[in-house]
Amino acid sequence: MDGADRERLLARLREVVGERYAFADPYEMRLYQYDASPETALPDIVVIPATSEEVARIVKICAESRVPLTPRSGASSLAGGTVPVEGGVVITFARMDRVLEIDTENLRAVVQPGVVNLALSQALKPHGYYYAPDPSSQGACTIGGNVATNAGGPHTLIYGVTVNHVTGLEVALPSGELVRVGGCKSAEAIGYDLTGLLVGSEGTMAVVTQVWVKIQPLPPVQKTLMAVYPDVATASNAVSAIVRTGILPAAIEMMDKLSIQAIEAASHAGYPLDAGAVLLLEVDGIPEVAQELGERMAKVCRDNGATEVRIARNEQERQALWKGRKGAFSAMGRLSSDFYVMDGVVPRTKLPETLAKIDAISERTGFKICNVFHAGDGNLHPLVLFDAFQAGQYEAVLRIGDEILKLCAQAGGSVTGEHGIGLEKRENIRYVFSDDDLEVMDRVRRVFDPHLLMNPGKVFPGNGLQPSALRYSPGYPRRQAVAGGEDLWV
Amino acid sequence: MGVKAGPRVLPGHQITGADQHRLSVDDLLPSKIMHPGDAEDAARGLRLCDLAPASVVVWGGGTQMRLGAPPRRYDIAFSTERMTRLLEYEPADLTCRVEAGMRLSDLQAALGAQGQRLPLDPPHPQRATVGGMVAANTNGLGRARYGTVRDWVIGIAVAYPSGKVARAGGKVVKNVAGYDLMKLHIGALGTLGVVAEVNLKVHAIPESKATVLGHFEAAAPAVAAGLQLARSYLAPAAAIVLDRRALWECGLSADWQWTLAVKLEGYAREVEAARDQAGGIIHDAGGRVETADLPPTFWDAARDWSAPDGDVVLLRAIAPIASTPTLSDAVPPEASVIIQPAAGVVDLRVTPSSAAPTLQRMRSLAGDGGQVVVASAPPSVKSSLDVWGPPPPGFPIMRALKQALDPNGILNSGRFVGGI
Repeated sequence: MDGADRERLLARLREVVGERYAFADPYEMRLYQYDASPETALPDIVVIPATSEEVARIVKICAESRVPLTPRSGASSLAGGTVPVEGGVVITFARMDRVLEIDTENLRAVVQPGVVNLALSQALKPHGYYYAPDPSSQGACTIGGNVATNAGGPHTLIYGVTVNHVTGLEVALPSGELVRVGGCKSAEAIGYDLTGLLVGSEGTMAVVTQVWVKIQPLPPVQKTLMAVYPDVATASNAVSAIVRTGILPAAIEMMDKLSIQAIEAASHAGYPLDAGAVLLLEVDGIPEVAQELGERMAKVCRDNGATEVRIARNEQERQALWKGRKGAFSAMGRLSSDFYVMDGVVPRTKLPETLAKIDAISERTGFKICNVFHAGDGNLHPLVLFDAFQAGQYEAVLRIGDEILKLCAQAGGSVTGEHGIGLEKRENIRYVFSDDDLEVMDRVRRVFDPHLLMNPGKVFPGNGLQPSALRYSPGYPRRQAVAGGEDLWV
Repeated sequence: MGVKAGPRVLPGHQITGADQHRLSVDDLLPSKIMHPGDAEDAARGLRLCDLAPASVVVWGGGTQMRLGAPPRRYDIAFSTERMTRLLEYEPADLTCRVEAGMRLSDLQAALGAQGQRLPLDPPHPQRATVGGMVAANTNGLGRARYGTVRDWVIGIAVAYPSGKVARAGGKVVKNVAGYDLMKLHIGALGTLGVVAEVNLKVHAIPESKATVLGHFEAAAPAVAAGLQLARSYLAPAAAIVLDRRALWECGLSADWQWTLAVKLEGYAREVEAARDQAGGIIHDAGGRVETADLPPTFWDAARDWSAPDGDVVLLRAIAPIASTPTLSDAVPPEASVIIQPAAGVVDLRVTPSSAAPTLQRMRSLAGDGGQVVVASAPPSVKSSLDVWGPPPPGFPIMRALKQALDPNGILNSGRFVGGI
């Protein structure tokens, strides 16, 4: 965008939000060029609206001016979902962060997109309710971003992902209209399920301005247990054995040997250092049921090769067990200055062979790969450890990532379970969808966004536009303590 | 002057007189029939229809053909009856992939052999197909606990009038690659494409189940008790409030004015605790817990009650659950009713003459936050009713989606919301 165009656009946006909340200073633009992925690109203008109506006017101005618009909120996307790869306007929701209504009568909450996920559950807690999807970045990510990516989390195994909990949306369309879709407080609405379509569309169709979510009663008791295994294959088979019993835990998380070593060094969670794999399992329910299920799962774990099973006897012990898992990503700093996280999915039964193949990739390439993941639903998060200052390492790591996603797809899985396609995997999407599949998706997108201005450059492959700068490009300053001390876990 | 148009040649196979009547929709008869063997075959068939162009009505088991406005035109009966295979099923993954024409009861039997099930219970599973369940978004009585079709479909293959088969989603339970086009087709009544294959999540059959019955002198306390159960942690698998006539129609010939029937499922201890809780709530609401022997077919009959055969008019209201009492109060005395308080669903069977005024009254009570549709009616009654009600917000987008995926409007033309 040239200077004169930018000034004209800035002036129009300032008419909407005021002088203070639309800006284009190059120094400030650098603060909005990145998210939690490795890629960056500078916006031309950042705008911070306060109301749905302001959002609608901004969207309309951008559409009329044919300027790309990228929504951004917590900016915790691991897939470059909020990187403004084509420049233009970044719209952020820092001022739209209110829980508008808690309606326990209808089991709904109405929130603005900038509400932090954890803040919603905290607001609901005094009422005895919570919001079930709990992405691991829940202390930073927002409901708007969760809607964009259809975010998951460790407890999706039993409670489902974002789309299962969103019943209505208010969205600003490129036409400038503000439309309310879905049943909202009702279970469903007549007509096509636009809510279901928009959730997970990664901001490529419309900008979400308000969200209706289901709320559910807090479980009376959560029972957590740790099971120790000699290797990941035995642990994976134990997961399948648990599923076969008919017990559906709220969460099944797995950590491999390398992760355990990093975690123990960082947070002393009490995982045995000689373990080949650790499973964390959780059930919730009324006390007598949770207790019984905990014991039954412990037996299945032992019968299927666990060398040790420990049931948390109280909340303190439970928190201690989770602490290691929650700190897993931060703990990687103990092993390596940088890591690259993947988000592949395989059918649960393909876990052992997939993990073996990832292991083989690690041996062949010499890069260490940790595995910390949601074993219950086959959602892998391999972490490739590397040193960004070593020439060629980042490029090699990207190739490893590509190979891992390809083998997930070949195993009947997917290239992303919860992080989204974003910028990162727009070529990898071809591993799971044909041109015909993508063509239908493209037609659907153009119904909303005929000029392809909404979060452009995301989701779809091959538009030829590349990020203007990679964070790991040579000479770029090294990040201090990668996620050190952060409570980032996925 | 000019070229005289010849008679339009319709694609498809000749249809027998018997099939013509079997496959009639709102008294309209098809001229030809297509019954593709798989997804690709379906797409090829649709392409021919699109070129003709010929208006297609898609058929599964036919249990929901009374839903929707009468078709604008009807040339081809497009049946999924040959697409009945269970394509993949891995019990340890809790997923399966099936062809759209598979009967629900056949699917449940295959899953049941492994101790699993699809926890959705649409009416008439012996006839209803998986594709029909998706297209009509039919959900049984367990929706408050188990969710609806959209919560269990993880992937889809759709045949489009372009002649292409396109997929969305996948075979894994957690997947955010690409757009969730499953949602677009669920409840779309086949107006955007023909659902050819469906990938589903499944789960284990609960180890224990029980039913608690409570009877009340009035609807309000029964509904209130149902709502209280819905908001509790031990939510039942189903909780329905029936008037006396509906109770009888479900095979329980007790002389109770209003009945709250609570179906409990889960782990054994959970069901025990839930039974105590349900009994307590019924008692506190002024009802009496009954120990009558439940006919084994009771829950199946209650499930099928909302998809009546014959000339019954069925209205369905869906509203925020806190509005259920208001909607329940508005049920006219000549109607019979099954209310799902926890889901905000009120199903009414009304007489043809009272259909229009009841529909109007329920719509005004449901307001903007709810909806009331004519879920089933004979053609003579349907022609005088606004089946869907006013188009919802976002309707221009819906119409544009239809235009994008079915530009010639050959699929179930006119049957859906707003004349789509």
